[in-house]
Amino acid sequence: MRWTKVIVAIFGLLAPAAYAMAQAGLAYETIQPEHIRLGESATLRVTSLDGDLPSVPLPVVSGLSFEVIGRSQGLEFVNGTSIPSTSILIRVTPQMAGIFSIPGLSPKSEPLVLDVVSEQDLNPSALIKPKPPPTPPLLATTPLPKGVELKAGGGAFVQLVIPTRAVYVGESVPVDIEVGVRPGIVTSLNGLPTLNGGEFTLNNLSRQPERRDKVIDGSPFLVMTWHSVIAAVKPGDFSLSVDTPLSVKVNTRSAEDMAFAAWLGGPFLQSMYNGIVPKDITVASPSTELKVLPLPTEGRPKDFSGAVGDFQVSSDISSARAAAGDPLTLRLHISGVGNFDRVDSTMLDHLDHWKTYPAKSSFTPSDAVGYKGEKVFEQPLIAALSGEQSIPGLDFSYFSPNTRRYERAHTSPIKVMIAASLADSSLSAPAEAGSLDGASTSRSAQGLRPDHPQPQSSVSEFKPLYFRAPFLAVPATLALILAGSWFALRPNPARATSKAAERALAQLDAAARSGDSSSFFDVARTLLLQTFAARWQMSPDQVTLAELRARLGTAGEDIERLFALADEAKYSDYEPGRTDFPRWLGLIRGQLAGERH
Amino acid sequence: MLIVGLALWGGQSLAESSQSRYSADGLYNLANSYARAGKPGLAVLNYERAALLAPNDADINANLEYVRTGARVPPEPRNRFARIVEAAGPTLSAWAGVLGIALAGGGLLAGRIVARFRWVRFGGILLGVVLITLTVCNAMLLWPRMHEAVILINQTPARVSPVPMGDTAFVLAEAETVTVRAEHEDFMLIRTRNGLSGWVARANLGSVVPRAR
Repeated sequence: MRWTKVIVAIFGLLAPAAYAMAQAGLAYETIQPEHIRLGESATLRVTSLDGDLPSVPLPVVSGLSFEVIGRSQGLEFVNGTSIPSTSILIRVTPQMAGIFSIPGLSPKSEPLVLDVVSEQDLNPSALIKPKPPPTPPLLATTPLPKGVELKAGGGAFVQLVIPTRAVYVGESVPVDIEVGVRPGIVTSLNGLPTLNGGEFTLNNLSRQPERRDKVIDGSPFLVMTWHSVIAAVKPGDFSLSVDTPLSVKVNTRSAEDMAFAAWLGGPFLQSMYNGIVPKDITVASPSTELKVLPLPTEGRPKDFSGAVGDFQVSSDISSARAAAGDPLTLRLHISGVGNFDRVDSTMLDHLDHWKTYPAKSSFTPSDAVGYKGEKVFEQPLIAALSGEQSIPGLDFSYFSPNTRRYERAHTSPIKVMIAASLADSSLSAPAEAGSLDGASTSRSAQGLRPDHPQPQSSVSEFKPLYFRAPFLAVPATLALILAGSWFALRPNPARATSKAAERALAQLDAAARSGDSSSFFDVARTLLLQTFAARWQMSPDQVTLAELRARLGTAGEDIERLFALADEAKYSDYEPGRTDFPRWLGLIRGQLAGERH
Repeated sequence: MLIVGLALWGGQSLAESSQSRYSADGLYNLANSYARAGKPGLAVLNYERAALLAPNDADINANLEYVRTGARVPPEPRNRFARIVEAAGPTLSAWAGVLGIALAGGGLLAGRIVARFRWVRFGGILLGVVLITLTVCNAMLLWPRMHEAVILINQTPARVSPVPMGDTAFVLAEAETVTVRAEHEDFMLIRTRNGLSGWVARANLGSVVPRAR
């Protein structure tokens, strides 16, 4: 009993404080947007952080009508602590323009201000601030889609919307993936939805899904919708579903604990909510059956590239008039709905008198997923001949799911007028030249020097003479003849020897005049040795005294005497008389003359 | 062999006499016609061809510079060396080279046979070498022009690859003279005076020396 009294005393002390918190700091109001036009609505949100929010009395403001449109629950972070929140949504609709003050719905809360302008008036505030998005239609409570179940404790659902008819292999099928989450329970989306099963391919989902608020079965949901296309890779009956990874808040406290905390009051209830922890889960959509049919083999065109859908084709060309050699661009436009990734065309592989290049394509979608749009193939062409040319029509084959057979679309032939190229006509007079006279000369040509008189000489080729092979044969032949003659005409060795002998005789004369017997006899001996060696086809060292006697007979004795005098003059003080030089010169000249002859 | 060479050249000249013939004056008059017709590309092309046959014709060079200036294409001034070397003209220069070979070769050959007339032989060799040098310089100056072409269409795209759908690297002005580096099908790889290279459609430029057809 003693402890009971203590507990009751504590509760008695805490109760006023808890009441004060509930009345003072745990409730607030906001209104969004604060500036609206007449005919629009704003949303007044009353939020309580103590987990218990009873009905609030609607305010009474002249010119404004208030209507409760729903309730929501969530978590809010205050000073790092998650606090459960409960909100009441009230739609505020003005009946007239003006600035309205809405009194606070909780004690000590500040009044809210709503600025309403007429539809025609310019709202200065609206010009400064971006216009808020239109108020989501939160009024109507819609039921959960048929066959869809709430997952994650009623906090999320996933739905895959696909056509009910049978589809064909390769056909692009538009699908919608809807993911509904309850704010406050689902805290984050951990990835994009993925398709189950490898029999289908799912195109890239748009990164930013469509978002809208819905009230489903009385609870507010944020519904995100992705638009995409799927394509079956093989025929058969398949079951399709979508998985979506989410993070949700899970309360680890038992239901009994929560009920007890609620009985105790606000502060205890808040401590109970601190047991809520995040958890990653995957929510799957209900399975949907889809029948995939194979493409028929009968009647399949040879140029069928796998395009399935409904297409229209047309073609055009960059210019109907061009010069030979100018690149033209032939364009094939394929528009409609279908699997544009399989739409292909080689266009023109070969065309007589035209140079064709590989085509390149570009796709311009007209929706977010590339199911509708136009694919343009561009093929460069270059005309080789001048004159009127015809480019044949182009064909495109595809399979139509509507008619359930292969279709072949054609384009019309295109006429093109091709003129001679400028480079080819550069040596012919311009067409305008005939009509040009002094009066019609263009201003830019007024500073030109006048024409020359009719030329007298002309050439048949621009290339200079020395770059033409036939002409180069002339100097080449001449050079060959000269080079051959150079080697054919060998120089006369006797002439060379006689020139050397003349130089030696000149040295002998000079030595005789100066009386230099040493030089005279030395040069004479060298000259005679070289002369005999050349004459007898031996080296000068091999010309011995015995050889001289044997070959020259008595004349060899004089030569022997000359060699002896040369040694004496070189190694002794022999001084011959001046009359000796002419005699020896005569002897030497005689020997040289004998050689010449 | 000399007779064979002369016969070859003479035979070709005889055969060419039946073909269309060009003259510097005729090409100059044609270029004037294009200039008056407001086609600077074709005018410059024919002035260039006329200048090839008569490099020192003052009228040709003056009108060429005038049309280039009008087309906002920077002129290409010739230096004194080029004027001296090209004074003779390519045809005369070619024959001067042949004469130079004969003089230099004959002088060397004579010196091998006889020892007399030394200064006459030396003078002949020197004159021959000078004539050969002039011809070689003349040919070296004209050789790059064998590969030049003139842009005939204004805003001609120079592409990064020799295909019509190739990306445009830069754009060429009409009457701009470029050097042809290579050819591939309907495109020519050109190099501008500024050192830029790109592929240009053959139809958009005219070669200064037309290719034999």
